Amino acid sequence: MITKQLLEHIEGEASVYFDIKDDKVDFATITFPHFRGMESILKGKNALDALVITPRVCGICGHAHLMAAVRAIEDAYKNAGFEIKLTQKAQKIREFTLIMEMIQNHFKWLYMVIIPELVKLISIKLEKTPLKGAYAASLSAKAIAVFGGQWPHSSYMIPGGVTSDPTFIEIMQARSQLEELIKFFEKETLGISLDKFLTLESCKDFNGFSSDLTNLEKGLIETGMHTKGFAKDQFIVLGEHGFTNSSKLKGTRTFGINSKYVSDTDAYSPQEITYAKNALYKNEYYEAGPLGRMLSQSVPLIKNMHRRYKDSAYSRVMARVFEIGYLLEYSKILLDNFDIDEDSVVTVTDIKQISATGIGVVEAPRGPLLHKIELKNGMISQYHITTPTQFNIGSSTPQTPTPVQQAMQGLAKKDALFIFRTFDVCSVCTTH
Amino acid sequence: MSDRIEGVKKLFTSKSARVETNKGDAYYDKLFQTCQARIEELKTQQPINNRLDIGDVLETQGIERRDFLKWASAVTGMLMLPASFTPLVADAALMMNRAPVIWLELQDCAGNSEALLRSDGPKIDEIVLDIISLEFHETLQAASGHQAEKQLEEAIEHFKDKYLLFVEGSVPLGMNGQFGTIGASGETMHDHLVRVAKHSAAVVAVGSCATFGGVPAAAPNPTGAVGVMDVIKGKPLINIPACPANPANMVGVIIHYILTGQVPELDSLLRPKFAFGYRIHDNCERRAHFDAGEYVEEWGDEGAKNNFCLYKMGCKGPMTFNNCSIVRYNEGVNWPIGVGRGCIGCSEPDFWDKYAYERPMADAKIKAPTGGVEKTVDEFGLGLLTAAGIGIGIHAAASAFAGKKEDGGEA
Ligand code: SF4
Ligand code: SF4
Repeated sequence: MITKQLLEHIEGEASVYFDIKDDKVDFATITFPHFRGMESILKGKNALDALVITPRVCGICGHAHLMAAVRAIEDAYKNAGFEIKLTQKAQKIREFTLIMEMIQNHFKWLYMVIIPELVKLISIKLEKTPLKGAYAASLSAKAIAVFGGQWPHSSYMIPGGVTSDPTFIEIMQARSQLEELIKFFEKETLGISLDKFLTLESCKDFNGFSSDLTNLEKGLIETGMHTKGFAKDQFIVLGEHGFTNSSKLKGTRTFGINSKYVSDTDAYSPQEITYAKNALYKNEYYEAGPLGRMLSQSVPLIKNMHRRYKDSAYSRVMARVFEIGYLLEYSKILLDNFDIDEDSVVTVTDIKQISATGIGVVEAPRGPLLHKIELKNGMISQYHITTPTQFNIGSSTPQTPTPVQQAMQGLAKKDALFIFRTFDVCSVCTTH
Repeated sequence: MSDRIEGVKKLFTSKSARVETNKGDAYYDKLFQTCQARIEELKTQQPINNRLDIGDVLETQGIERRDFLKWASAVTGMLMLPASFTPLVADAALMMNRAPVIWLELQDCAGNSEALLRSDGPKIDEIVLDIISLEFHETLQAASGHQAEKQLEEAIEHFKDKYLLFVEGSVPLGMNGQFGTIGASGETMHDHLVRVAKHSAAVVAVGSCATFGGVPAAAPNPTGAVGVMDVIKGKPLINIPACPANPANMVGVIIHYILTGQVPELDSLLRPKFAFGYRIHDNCERRAHFDAGEYVEEWGDEGAKNNFCLYKMGCKGPMTFNNCSIVRYNEGVNWPIGVGRGCIGCSEPDFWDKYAYERPMADAKIKAPTGGVEKTVDEFGLGLLTAAGIGIGIHAAASAFAGKKEDGGEA
């Protein structure tokens, strides 16, 4: 029998249709019933309008959309023969704010989704404290606002750089927010210092202390999440940043990657209209997001985790939490290496001169985000968006399951629902 | 040239450019008494569902009474009430656990919920999440799936005709509403909204999508998106536009409602005057440069480095009614103009098609903010500003605009 399960506690709405046999999920399809038509809204508008419209695709990772849009336009400049060379400063500001957006997302997901959902399944004491997520997220958002003006929906990037021109005061302001965030992470989440956390090499090291993190870890083990939720064990990282290593991974082995091989197909949803499309790389499904990112960086702890527990729900959750620490450390380095004397923006040719296509790829909190743009005299003639949830939470047939479909298969429904959320679903992005 | 600059200066600094907030002592005395009576009555009521008491929360958070009162006085100012109302506003905040709120997400990006989570005040995260009785919120509540639907039904039943309904997101009417369905029954967003609104005390549309259709309603409006006010009739309705709406204004509306039992004074677009009664431009930190005729001419130029006015880069501050220049975003850290990009006019209807990014205003077919938001606005709104193009070097564009005006086009 097929049963429908509605899902909240994700961004937007989704439903999963479970086909249950012998109390186990035999197969599941996913529906995203909301649609806005962002791509057709962009058509016919000035290219620069994409910089204010696309951040509104998503209230949680709007900044990543802004960055993908500006990169797509800059790529079109390049393809039209007007290559833009960003200053180091502009690149660092863009990256710092992107990282802060990832961090706010991870904190919220941890405290508002994962812990409350896990608490329902376990006996050990793990307190639900959603406000911790809200607090940490608002600190990161404040750090974005220093350079980006506001969050959500900042629009301060332009072809050639950024409009903000921070002085030492702003840098210090951002630094103090970052320090507070690190303190919060150490005290509330980790129970040990960030430095120490980043040197952990094995999952066994979690035994030595007690904190939200270690309770989460125990909870995952208690529910057997280290033996469940296996997906494809193949990952993609597409966005090029100082903190990523864009590659394709089979297990822990890395291979080169080129975003031109990304394509999409209609999602399979026999029961209900869905507005989602599945994203594929060279016609195969891959998992996207922090687990792949951390593996591609050869982080010892995550490699150790993968050796023991492969791409289980455990590894997926722990990698996302680990990434908070990794990114906090990286953003410290970014802030410390700002040369404020550099220009924030370089002069570019008038957009009206540009008739070309371009692609902008960034790593959003949940994985790669791609914007493809086609310009005629600076006006948008085509716009195409592919989001990370389309890779992870595609809905395909039983013969070719997507990562999430595979991860839920053969499990009790309550486990499957938890595992669904370990992918950090974003429905508003998926359907745009 | 210089007399033109003088002209602009006069125009924008004249008293008529502001909302007249002082309604006279008699009015405030009466209002004070009404509010006092209401607070006293609320005090006798039980908090809903054992919500936390804000007094306790403040104490456990180590927030001193003095700081709380400071916050209350800021809110009083924001609501455009005389300072003597501060203790009442503080009391109203303490009564927040007596105001049931149901929050619906329709065709949205969740940005306003996100903004709300980051609202400021004395740990207002707590106030909003714990103190006000947020009876239903898809993303924030604990219940999910069918359980959540049940919770919504119960909230509607239990707080019949008493709850404030906050709506985030537009309402897609195209294809019989099939671009957005909700819940197990697959009810359309339109039907869902109508049903939940039926027994609300008032409806608050939050964000540009819920108010005027927002980004989904931008041309060609693929899903037939409209704002809440196009669907809900016969209910008190408050619009809090902007993308995202400023959480300070959401909290302000709730406090005002608790305090007075009424919706705040609204303009013709149903926006509370306390927040939308003046323009970005009226209180912009770069205003002195506008008045002095000092503009950023190109991204990153000397003007940009010196924080000159962004008008020529397409800033829509002069025709946008909102208080972000005062309240700012993310706990007051910053706002768009603070990082050197113009205002895009996100709290005005149809801004995606009319204003958007760098479109020079003169060829954007912008009308003065629709029909008499404030008489003064209509008088010297956009028509005058751009057509005169006073001292701001957009003569060519301006005359094109003026030409249109002559043949009966946009004005
Ligand atoms: S930046 Fe915009 S709002 Fe500020 S003074 Fe200039 S035109 Fe007005
Ligand atoms: S400054 Fe303008 S565009 Fe920015 S949030 Fe305020 S009203 Fe919206």
